[in-house]
Amino acid sequence: MIDKINNKKTRLLLNILLIVIFATVIILLDTDVIGDAYIRRILNLSAIYAIVSVSMNLVNGFTGLFSLGQAGFMAIGAYSVAIFTVPLAERAKIFYITPQNPFLAQIELPFIVALLLGGFLAALVAIMIGVPVLRLKSDYLAIATLGFSEIIRIVFTNIKSITNGALGIKNIPTMPTMWVFFGIAIISIGFMRLLITSSYGRAFKAIREDEVAAEAMGINLFKHKVMSFSIGAFFAGIGGGLLATLFATVDPNQFYFPVTYNFLLIIVLGGMGSISGTIIASFLVTAGLEILRFFDEPLTLFGINIALFRPGLRMVIFSILLMLLVLFFRNGLMGQKELSWKLIFDWFSGKISRKRTGQGGGIQ
Amino acid sequence: MKKVLSLLLSLLMVLTLFTACSQPNNGGPSNQEPQTGGEEEPGTEEDVIKIGVFEPLTGMNGGGGQQELGGIQYANKMYPEVLGKKIELVVVDNKSDKGEATTAVTRLIEKDKVVAIIGSYGSAVSIAAGDIIKNAQIPAMGASCTNPMVTQGNPFYFRACFLDPFQGKVMATYAVEQGAKTAAVIMQNGDDYSVGLANFFIDAFKQLTGDPNSIVDVSEFQLNESDFNAILTNIKAKNPDVIFAPSAATTAPLIIKQARDLGIDALIMGGDTWENPALIDVAGEAAEGVVLSTFFDENDPVTNEAKKFVEGYKKELAGKEPIIPAVAALGYDAYILLRDAIERAGSTDGVAIRDALKATKDFEGVTGIINFTEEGDADKNLAVIKTIKDGQFVFVDSVEVQ
Repeated sequence: MIDKINNKKTRLLLNILLIVIFATVIILLDTDVIGDAYIRRILNLSAIYAIVSVSMNLVNGFTGLFSLGQAGFMAIGAYSVAIFTVPLAERAKIFYITPQNPFLAQIELPFIVALLLGGFLAALVAIMIGVPVLRLKSDYLAIATLGFSEIIRIVFTNIKSITNGALGIKNIPTMPTMWVFFGIAIISIGFMRLLITSSYGRAFKAIREDEVAAEAMGINLFKHKVMSFSIGAFFAGIGGGLLATLFATVDPNQFYFPVTYNFLLIIVLGGMGSISGTIIASFLVTAGLEILRFFDEPLTLFGINIALFRPGLRMVIFSILLMLLVLFFRNGLMGQKELSWKLIFDWFSGKISRKRTGQGGGIQ
Repeated sequence: MKKVLSLLLSLLMVLTLFTACSQPNNGGPSNQEPQTGGEEEPGTEEDVIKIGVFEPLTGMNGGGGQQELGGIQYANKMYPEVLGKKIELVVVDNKSDKGEATTAVTRLIEKDKVVAIIGSYGSAVSIAAGDIIKNAQIPAMGASCTNPMVTQGNPFYFRACFLDPFQGKVMATYAVEQGAKTAAVIMQNGDDYSVGLANFFIDAFKQLTGDPNSIVDVSEFQLNESDFNAILTNIKAKNPDVIFAPSAATTAPLIIKQARDLGIDALIMGGDTWENPALIDVAGEAAEGVVLSTFFDENDPVTNEAKKFVEGYKKELAGKEPIIPAVAALGYDAYILLRDAIERAGSTDGVAIRDALKATKDFEGVTGIINFTEEGDADKNLAVIKTIKDGQFVFVDSVEVQ
């Protein structure tokens, strides 16, 4: 059986089959044949979370930089889409306390341009703060980036003529198809996957494992760190922009720093240093919270109303599940491995039962 | 163990996806209702009418959301039926988070097939849900979301409360009536409620006094800030007649206490959030004489409905809360407004209910006589002014504004 899996042809066939199934499911969902808006919304949200989580994993899991600035970069992307895509006619109604900057009030960009602009602005800001901040290591870097993301939020709260301050912006045009979210997710994650398997990616991993050794091998530490940081920021910005169009509204409180922890949770759960693990975890966490809504509803068993089932219980269950997962999968679901046909079949035939402990260790 | 666990988890995922997928097919027949319009046919419909409630029950605004839900549930207890069917409340938590709020509302519409929605405490989540509600053509009734953008341009969103512009005007009118010539304003940076209300107060105050320089100081503070001495010292130097400081019930007592400690004797005023026993508990003596506006006064019920509500809900709350929270009264109103509209529409079709809501005329609610404006906002011209005296909230005046 193992030989069969190692056969290139079989693997190719399986891959094609998987892609066809995936595309069919999305097309069916998209054309409303199966599922409903509820499922579509959860999947879209998961796809966006996957982009942001993979971008965070690129920095934290692959380059070993403990950065917590994701919420700030997302805010930049989200506001870029919000400011430039809202129809001109609606602007005056939204900016009803402080009028919008007269220059910005005349500009309306197509969604994709605004989205890319948001990504580039996020990357630009990342380079600007990366140059001084990336000299720091571990906890200090985390504190500095966390501080940065708060600064972004507070700046956005206060430049009222551009962002409408605390009131937020609404009426952002929404996207009619799931392909916008899934297409961009596939392209973004595909790009990051290519980057990680390239020579740059190997340099990132070398920096993660041992900076001194990496430098001795001739890797320019600073250049690679800034590169990883700004590319991560670019895709976080893209993710933020998609979030803005999915919700049709943005406000600064949406990018309060606990948002970053949500993504940290996803990458730790999926495995620091595993793209497929991160994607799986994004879908698991987003869908999981919705699935657990069952616990928030009152439950009557044999005519007795069980008082334990009340709003909020779902968060308790969710936390217990997380603890269990972390206890049994110490390196996250995937550790540093990627999902492959070989891994799946090995796993089912019980080939890798106790080997896991020797692997990984990507979490500091 | 690992294997069993992960298999179980993935099984769970796949299973729920399937159950969720098959749901709409089961619920199919209920889609006939909109086409048939008016008359309901026995047998084709289930014998319950579902109304969705989305509120923050956990997270940042959990407390307020719970209070509002209390009022809605009490209303459901008092009026459990419409069109001869039982009303079932489907409650979902939105955690004050936009992502959760939008999925929660989609869930209510798609999975639970609710005919109308009530909520939510906190305007930001209501705005995020607004787009979904508009596209699905399901009428929604906000209870206490005061940001004008909630209903603006959304024909399906209504609300039972008055707006920030109105409340700002009420406080400015009251201040001017008390002979105030100058005012200082303190607001919380980043809080849409506080910023909105403060700005409308500033506009109204300038207009009423006819003096563009009547606002002597505008200061902002950050979330979780607890030392207001810098702001207050500055204000003291300018010696205003009143200080208007719309803020959350957690920060308000700190501002009041520190202002009095500094020897500021100006009249201190706030918004509806101040009607909270915590304010008196924390600020103590300093809270005496503070003035606030609110939606509703339990000691002076304005309608028969209000008398009934106060009597009944007081008993319900006995031992839990000393006063009836204004948001509970609004939650109650939101529910009975919707129920009344469904009754008049004679159907559970979204558009029919919307039209019935629009046609609401002089509806007797707990918080006053309610009509709706073009935008779907409750058109109330009456607000209640209260002050704190001997550690109690005391009714002062009801202010009418045109």
